[in-house]
Amino acid sequence: MERIIDLELRGLETMVAHMCELAHRAISTALHESLHHGDSYDKVRETSDFLMILADQVEDKAVEIILKFQPVASDLRMVKTLMRISYDLARLGRYALDIAYVNKRFNGVRDCDEWIREYIKNMGQKVMNMVELSLASIKDKSLKSVKEISYLEREVDELYKSFLDKIAKDTSESRAIVSSVLIVRYLERIADHMVYAYEALIYMLTGRRELIE
Amino acid sequence: MSSPYKIEVENLNAWYGHQQVLIDINMKIKDKAVTAIMGPSGCGKTTFIRCLNRMHELVPRAKVSGKVIFNGVNIYDNGVDPTWVRKRIGMVFQKPNPFPMMSIYDNVAFGPRIHGIGDKKLLDQIVRQSLEMAGLWEEVKGDLRRPASALSGGQQQRLCIARALALEPEVILMDEPTSHLDPISAAKIETLIRRLAEKYAIVIVTHNVQQAARVSDYVAFFYMGRLVEYGPTKEVFERPRSELTERYVTGKFG
Repeated sequence: MERIIDLELRGLETMVAHMCELAHRAISTALHESLHHGDSYDKVRETSDFLMILADQVEDKAVEIILKFQPVASDLRMVKTLMRISYDLARLGRYALDIAYVNKRFNGVRDCDEWIREYIKNMGQKVMNMVELSLASIKDKSLKSVKEISYLEREVDELYKSFLDKIAKDTSESRAIVSSVLIVRYLERIADHMVYAYEALIYMLTGRRELIE
Repeated sequence: MSSPYKIEVENLNAWYGHQQVLIDINMKIKDKAVTAIMGPSGCGKTTFIRCLNRMHELVPRAKVSGKVIFNGVNIYDNGVDPTWVRKRIGMVFQKPNPFPMMSIYDNVAFGPRIHGIGDKKLLDQIVRQSLEMAGLWEEVKGDLRRPASALSGGQQQRLCIARALALEPEVILMDEPTSHLDPISAAKIETLIRRLAEKYAIVIVTHNVQQAARVSDYVAFFYMGRLVEYGPTKEVFERPRSELTERYVTGKFG
């Protein structure tokens, strides 16, 4: 027989699933625009603000569930994890907005040298791959992507550090340096948040606190 | 070095006639901590705690095998006096059961008197200390001659705890001590349990999963006479090892 708490937990999951879609949309829009033309700053800002509101709502709902049902074991872990993941998704929205701001203020990396644009395109693809894998795992409650996430996270970290080394020796104009460094930094942070979300998922499904290395 | 465990249960089995109700229980109960025993009705929780102070044998045709080692002594060894065991390991029952027509004072003084204490001054001191420890002194000190039946249900339960404390036990067993009480009285008993754990080993049987989570340091989950899981409360309630425990604590049983 279904428990009352099941209905409430499903409601919480639905909210987080909706956040996953919005976060994905915000990042892909902002990232696409950093390399191609477009004017979506307001759209990204709207999505990012909505993600913040949803994260607050998830937190309120989680507190209400704790208050009403005093969940334990897998129920408790689910509530805690969905709160954590909603925060990570709200951060994703914020980083998307940060990228959108760089697009607006500095024309993204569209005016940068070819190697910078290619570099960011490549790094962006890897980060989007991580985002998609993590969000799919959250929706499916599956841990099958742990190795890929871990591998991609290392790659993104390497790309970030190596970009800083390269740009330090580059002769590009300061405007190009600022915009590219900011975007690379935001991408690296997005990747970190996807790792945190995945670690939270591991905790929810297994009870183990594991760091993805 | 003294053991951190007050009671060590080894291969404990219990029967009512031919019906085996406890099967090969092994468990170590820590001193100065609250250990909660939880599980569905008929899982053997109450029988288990009744085996810890030899009350089980008071039931006709009841039988026990295995060891319950208390302070290094197996309480089921030949020559161990069950009255001594029950004095050192006190019990508080589900339904408050003071002697209703006896005064508050006499209820608490009853045990010490039976055990030979007749000195009025000493009895006065024991009664006061026990009532203080049970958190009842301030409410009853004005009229200790009132009959116990004049107290509320929650006060009667605290009087029963004071009565157990008057015998200076080392372990207090509590069999669903709040199940007959209103939420405020139950909360007072829970606070008291936490306070008493600073001095005694407390073992509490409870049907209430949230109560077990609130008051205990360790939790044991019993199912069909077997000990399924035993561990620190946070671990058992956050990530139970057994699927049965998970289903029970989340209410997915049955």
